[in-house]
Amino acid sequence: MTNRISKAKLTLLLLGGLLISNADLQAARKQIPEPSVKPEKTESVVQENAGTAEVDEDSQAATKRDLQGLTSDVAVLRDQLTRQLDSNIANTARSLTIGGTLQNRYTAVTSTNQPTSPNGFTVNAAILSFSGALKKDYEEGRNLTYALSLISTAATNTFQPYDAYLQYAIFPSLDIEKPNFNITFGQQAIPFGLEPQVGEDKKPAAVYAIFAGANGWNLAQRDLGVQLKGDLFPFVDLAYTYRVPLIQYQLGIFNGSNWNTAETNKSKDVVGRIVLNAPVDYNSDFRGLSIGSSFYSGEKDLAQSNGTLITGGSGKGTRNRYGADIAYVASPFGFTAEYAVGDDDRVISGTTIANAVKSTIKSKAYTATLFYEWGEQFLNQVRNQSRLDDWWPKTYQPFIRYDYFDPDTSVANNESSVLTYGFNFFFAQTTKLQLNYNVSNLKNTNVKQSQFIAQFQFGF
Amino acid sequence: MKNWIKALPLVAVLFMGFTAQAAEKPKVIRFAFPGSTIVLGKPSALVNNIIVDQQLLEKEFAKDGIKIEVSNFVTAGPGVNEALAAGLADFANYGDFPIVTGKAGGLKTKFILATDVGANTYIIGRTDLHIKGVKDLKGRSFGIFKGTNLQPPFIKLLLANGLTEKDVRTVNLNTTDAQAALIAKSIDAIGIGADRPVVDLGVGEVIGDTNQLPLSTRATTGLVVQEDFAKKYPDIVKRVVKVYLQANRFASDEKNREVLLKILVNTGAKYKYLKSEYALLPLKVRHNPLLTQGNTVHYKDLVDFSEHNKLIRKKFDVDQWIDKSYEQAALKELGLENYWAK
Repeated sequence: MTNRISKAKLTLLLLGGLLISNADLQAARKQIPEPSVKPEKTESVVQENAGTAEVDEDSQAATKRDLQGLTSDVAVLRDQLTRQLDSNIANTARSLTIGGTLQNRYTAVTSTNQPTSPNGFTVNAAILSFSGALKKDYEEGRNLTYALSLISTAATNTFQPYDAYLQYAIFPSLDIEKPNFNITFGQQAIPFGLEPQVGEDKKPAAVYAIFAGANGWNLAQRDLGVQLKGDLFPFVDLAYTYRVPLIQYQLGIFNGSNWNTAETNKSKDVVGRIVLNAPVDYNSDFRGLSIGSSFYSGEKDLAQSNGTLITGGSGKGTRNRYGADIAYVASPFGFTAEYAVGDDDRVISGTTIANAVKSTIKSKAYTATLFYEWGEQFLNQVRNQSRLDDWWPKTYQPFIRYDYFDPDTSVANNESSVLTYGFNFFFAQTTKLQLNYNVSNLKNTNVKQSQFIAQFQFGF
Repeated sequence: MKNWIKALPLVAVLFMGFTAQAAEKPKVIRFAFPGSTIVLGKPSALVNNIIVDQQLLEKEFAKDGIKIEVSNFVTAGPGVNEALAAGLADFANYGDFPIVTGKAGGLKTKFILATDVGANTYIIGRTDLHIKGVKDLKGRSFGIFKGTNLQPPFIKLLLANGLTEKDVRTVNLNTTDAQAALIAKSIDAIGIGADRPVVDLGVGEVIGDTNQLPLSTRATTGLVVQEDFAKKYPDIVKRVVKVYLQANRFASDEKNREVLLKILVNTGAKYKYLKSEYALLPLKVRHNPLLTQGNTVHYKDLVDFSEHNKLIRKKFDVDQWIDKSYEQAALKELGLENYWAK
């Protein structure tokens, strides 16, 4: 047996152990007669001091024949189990976890100064994910893992690679009192800001803030590159197995040419983020407080305002983003706030790099979310109860978010703002109902819009 | 309008009277226990299992219409602590170390009853390495689930053998992963409780256990209650303690030894290991629930030990924390004042 022993083999070994243990138990049970006083009689046993469990091991000891019979039973059980494993369980050469997330959405929109789009149902997103360890290091946790996910959205309706990366833990990762440091290579999330990359504990809304989405800087999208990610000075509260590092950092180099797209220029974009967390005990009022700062420094292909690339403009245009954020997420109350600015070069006139006249567009964005929840959805250990699958602590989460994006600060009345009133209802382990009411003021198109979204997000 | 305002104080007084009356008994009493990782829905500890299996709490509070809710946490003590911190449990019966780390971390609890003393931690070494004993662990890798009841006894066992935690390469692994790592030969030794299937698989052998140490240094369990709950419902707390004393009385009776083992086997543990573990102490010693001087000393030592080893950041006053009043009242009511050794 080597370090590369697969999970399946371990499972079989442990199952084998359980079968053997079961054999012992059966043999033991034969030796131990049923007690004359059932456990149900606890109270009377205590009160009457008459807990007489008559045990006469010799008189009912298992015979050799009993044990031989039992051994045969175990062998039959083992064969049955092997057959079931072979025929009913998919096999892989390496450890594999298959998962998925689906968003089934109903959207209703009313707009001023714009034809109203029809209300309707969509599969907003369907993600199929595969992940696992290519090398599991039990001694130090320097694991080599992989992730592949495929996504289909309402816009594309075709599956395409979303996450596709290899990750290696450079530092040992088993000891929660030591810092983590790992490297990720491939298509992955860009380490900028809160909104583009945080989970549902910090982002209750069904849609991204404008700056993170396709109508803004598209920072929530994946990109191809390599990223270092780690933390320093971890603070551990053993009472809750709670770990919070004082500093978290991410630094990556990416194509900057969009996901699933080959590089279009020679330059690479550098993206980084640093977060300071309050290094406090689990019971502290400051648990969940963090401030962060991000930067994105890149170069893009120069284009005219209509999007046409100019000759020789490959990688000649600046694309910078800077952001700061603060979050306080401590159940039941939480808020996040984020501010970011951007610089983007564009061509005012000219069709080649030689005669192009450039200008820099400055943009800015901010968003703030306030939420409250009652229920145990975000209490990790409480969720891990020894109960059957029909149990899940229901959680209710109302929230409000204000979102603002100005694509060009030099131009008046071209900004967009969205006020979202929302409510999330978590009612199964991976399932929630999201109700969002978005009131948008899109000044660049002079459109005012009210949008209602009802979305079931569920995973498997 | 003005008359309506004048009537407000009267309404408030009536409302306060109503709420005070309503506060005499809760609608539900919530318990948090470490759960079995093998059999879903089962607590892992014996006394908790007796109480759940026999529905002793339900029977005690049925006449009052009070509902009993039990949550079993597979994440053991840390999970129980989180439930207490979030106000999701009124009572918890769990291991001494997470009890101490939780209290030191700010949980507002009172310690009201002992429920189990002298549980052993076993050190399993890889068979092929022929590790001779705990002393031979020096420089070797060792897997243990930090933050649980296993950690302090392991450190004490090292100290008793002339080693410190720095002499071994400690790896934080939960019990399942620790056993898998041992099977995969990725680790040299592990620390686990009484149940030890890796020994049956032939990949590990017992190279030491805390049975060598004095009883007061081994793991214990105890019952805690939220301070607010105890202030609000002192009679309910006494009745809960009474139920626990009844369960401990049952668990202390040698005539019930096999029944007790069967109860534990139903949580997924292995009979032969349970039998040998429970043979180490008379049941009346193992399940002595009294808050004795020895028990107080044990917790004081554990607090000092945890602070010294930087497992907690600040100490707390054990004497102020332990409240014997409920135990004494319940013992008197059950006529068990002289049943266990004091």
